[in-house]
Amino acid sequence: MATTTASITLSSTDLLSDELALSTTSTLTNAGTATGVTQASGLSRKTTSAAAAAAIQANVLYRAGDYLANGANKVYIKNTSTTVAEFYTVVIDQEVVGRLYAGDWMFMPWIATSGTKALFTVTIAATWAIGDTWTFDGITMTAETATLASIAAQLDALNYPNWTTTYASGVTIIFTARYASDATEVVYATADGELVTAGNGTANISGAAAGTASESDITIRPSVHTDMTYETMLIHE
Amino acid sequence: MATTTASLTITSADLVGDALSLSSTKELHKAGTTVGLDQTTGMARVYLTATTQLDIFPVLPAAPAGQNLQSWVYICNKSLDETEFITVSIAATDIGLLYAGDFMWFPWSQIAQKADIEITPSSGAAAAGIHVDYTCMHQGITYPTSGD
Repeated sequence: MATTTASITLSSTDLLSDELALSTTSTLTNAGTATGVTQASGLSRKTTSAAAAAAIQANVLYRAGDYLANGANKVYIKNTSTTVAEFYTVVIDQEVVGRLYAGDWMFMPWIATSGTKALFTVTIAATWAIGDTWTFDGITMTAETATLASIAAQLDALNYPNWTTTYASGVTIIFTARYASDATEVVYATADGELVTAGNGTANISGAAAGTASESDITIRPSVHTDMTYETMLIHE
Repeated sequence: MATTTASLTITSADLVGDALSLSSTKELHKAGTTVGLDQTTGMARVYLTATTQLDIFPVLPAAPAGQNLQSWVYICNKSLDETEFITVSIAATDIGLLYAGDFMWFPWSQIAQKADIEITPSSGAAAAGIHVDYTCMHQGITYPTSGD
């Protein structure tokens, strides 16, 4: 168990007629316990830029699906720009939190509420031949054998850019979207895979379910297309 | 013009392989300027005994004068019971859970008709009663009128 502390000080001698001197220290623990958090993304730094103002894109800092929902996660973000008018707009899901101007930093808890990931099952059946292919998500599997279970294992062994696979044994493989997002709000069907077979092999898709969008991905959007730099760190369960 | 400074320090000798010792300090300025913020709600402390969602900063009208002016919000769960938390939300979106002793500090954009900041005690916290501190430092908050 690690011991991590976060301290904030707010001070001013002239904001009010009374001096402001607030100081709070928190030991970062897992949700509902006294056990210290043990995981962190590490402090990272990235420079954002685009070809033109019209090409400015939001940057995804953290995807909720990658972290524990309802955990005692903490996010630190800082705009390291020195141009006072430049800012990053911080957004959670579709909700604008606020703007970080030059030198500004924020520290907040993060609930990491994810959506659900789309999934479907592929069943390898009928008669396949060596050299038959099945293409999905831009990846083509070429059968090295005519044995159905081996073909299923081959499908599982490939790396798909937008999907993960689960295979235990037999002839079925479960595909699960890597991210819960609007892009996975479709129900996949057999026609979404492209099968080329010398026999009458099939790779039918069944049990498909659509995904739903994440509810708390954190994104930031730069105010200008010229170079701006941010730093961020996630401390999480 | 006032000079108000916010400083954060995060330290750990054993969270990662290298000692963590992060410090950030920033004067609070009006949006896009180096002019110091000069308004604050003052530090409030509430004692909550129900799980009712509470607007600590209000639902804003259609065209708030404060929209995108710079505001900073501090919220701290003063409970000493590690199981007690509050859920912090902006409009309808839950942002995070503040457990006992946790604090947060973030900019607030006061977006029209949205962006109200809400806190909701957990059932255990409400049953026991929970203190929460909060304040906002800003260059202008638009409060809803009776007609909003």
